[in-house]
Amino acid sequence: MTVNRISDQIWEIPASEKPGMLVPARIYATEKILTSMDRGVFEQVTNVACLPGIRRYALCMPDGHWGYGFPIGGVAAFDRDTGVISPGGVGYDINCGMRLIRTDLTLADVAPRLELLMTELFRRVPAGVGSRGFVSVNRKDFAEVMRHGARWCVERGYGWHHDLERIEEQGCIPGADSSKVSDYAVERGIHQLGTLGSGNHYLEVQVAADDRIFDKPTAAALGITGRNQIVVMVHCGSRGFGHQVASDYLKVFEQAMRRHGISVKDQQLACAPFRSQEGQDYFAAMNCAANSAFANRQVITHQIREAFSTVFGQPAESLGMDIVYDVAHNIAKVERYPEGELVVHRKGSTRAFGPGRPELPEIYRETGQPVMCGGSMETGSYVLVGTDRAMRETFGSTMHGSGRTMSRAQAKRSVRGEQLQKQMAQRGIIVKAVSMSGLAEEAGFAYKNISDVVETVDTAGITRKVAELRPIGNIKG
Amino acid sequence: MTSSFRFLEDIALADSAFEARGNSPSELFTASATAVIETLADPRTVDPALTKTVTRHDPSLASLLFDWLSDIVYIKDAERMVFRDGDCVVSSNQADGDWHLEGRLTGAPIDPARHDLRADIKAITKHRYEVREDNGTWVATVVMDI
Repeated sequence: MTVNRISDQIWEIPASEKPGMLVPARIYATEKILTSMDRGVFEQVTNVACLPGIRRYALCMPDGHWGYGFPIGGVAAFDRDTGVISPGGVGYDINCGMRLIRTDLTLADVAPRLELLMTELFRRVPAGVGSRGFVSVNRKDFAEVMRHGARWCVERGYGWHHDLERIEEQGCIPGADSSKVSDYAVERGIHQLGTLGSGNHYLEVQVAADDRIFDKPTAAALGITGRNQIVVMVHCGSRGFGHQVASDYLKVFEQAMRRHGISVKDQQLACAPFRSQEGQDYFAAMNCAANSAFANRQVITHQIREAFSTVFGQPAESLGMDIVYDVAHNIAKVERYPEGELVVHRKGSTRAFGPGRPELPEIYRETGQPVMCGGSMETGSYVLVGTDRAMRETFGSTMHGSGRTMSRAQAKRSVRGEQLQKQMAQRGIIVKAVSMSGLAEEAGFAYKNISDVVETVDTAGITRKVAELRPIGNIKG
Repeated sequence: MTSSFRFLEDIALADSAFEARGNSPSELFTASATAVIETLADPRTVDPALTKTVTRHDPSLASLLFDWLSDIVYIKDAERMVFRDGDCVVSSNQADGDWHLEGRLTGAPIDPARHDLRADIKAITKHRYEVREDNGTWVATVVMDI
């Protein structure tokens, strides 16, 4: 496949490379990252470039790897009137995303009580296969969760009013319609509010050290003050509810494509015109799942605050436990660009709006939107901010994590969960896991080096790194 | 040959895939269900305290298998259950031309203290999904999103 170097961080596959490509494909990567990417990325990003109504480029971020239909790390924008929407461009875990919570505590405060804190967090935030949340809701309540997202939680005491401005879309995307989701989806998700799930989802207690803050004024504006400050990162999504919405609509779209005369190169790229009934139904159902994911992370935040309050004997307010930001990395949204209104799909990529965008809350209008990128549980995570360049080049999008390089089975053959847990404890990271085999699958060596990925987006200028966060405690499903 | 399955490593780096085989559609469906069950939890740690039955029919055998495996994922979340075993009888019905499934799952409500829980399956996917008959052996390739 022809891959032309545009710059040291941008590579382009011309539209002439594959029959049906409507636009070129662009991959953000260093040469080292590009050569280590699996072949699936190149096939998939060029397949996406063939979808009706795509604008400018089909994009892939440096943490890209093979996914279902679209690559993970994929970004694609479609004309609102003539383009499509695709569940494969969002992923099964609708509004899987990251949330970061700051504290006024330091490592010196937390270290003596870290074991107790992790035990309390593990008790309060259910994780693993089929886990059930502590918030009990009936179907009527759940429909409200779908419509109002994190706002529903705050109104019931699971959060603070000013939390909402620190969540993408204030934690409530308009246009959610609960009549567009199946009973199956509701039954899978109704008991899972406030649960982490398993796989690569986690809750992590982290340290922001002075020497790992790269932009002190911006970090301070985000509430990250350094001096071994303790922060908490949460990575999870819409759980069984969102997974079922995606499965349901992939089936609907397989039929819809025939009706609309659309053919795709991969069944998992099933799509429908955004303006069609099927397209609008999926968008309304996807927004229900997205709002339920905001609510899920909001209930988890409440439980995190309760755990800290219990362990440190103070109200969470006096521990300074504000949300830094919450942002999705699996979602489709209508956004305005010079071309007009576009349906931007981000699958394993994060919105990274630059300074001045009206969608950003006043507190982040000057800094640009905070972006959290999770590394493996053994390395570190990063906080970045969006840039003007991202608005011009990538539909205001950037990376989301580090990306796997090793299969789950190979990781399990390389280390046992108990052994990994012990090794991490020796390095000062306390891990609580529901599944030891699941823990082994998430070992650090199974992932790319996140620092290489972050350097790429920072040098490319599509996000600017602010701070690196080091893990000291991790909860996994 | 009896029904069997093996996990595939080279298909889905971040997820999990398997190939199942059987001498008949019934054996293939049972082997595929066992692969899904073993992905969720070690079945040796799960008592057969509850039984769930699934009845479906579809003109396409591939669609029927897809829906049967998706049913297991649905029951896992909706009934909050992991499984000891699953088996089924699949037959073709001359009257309507469809394939008919009578499936049975045994298991118990999830208890992390008793069950060796493994990976949560988000969905059965259509990526490289295939059901074929190969010289009298029925073979399926299935990728699960983890």
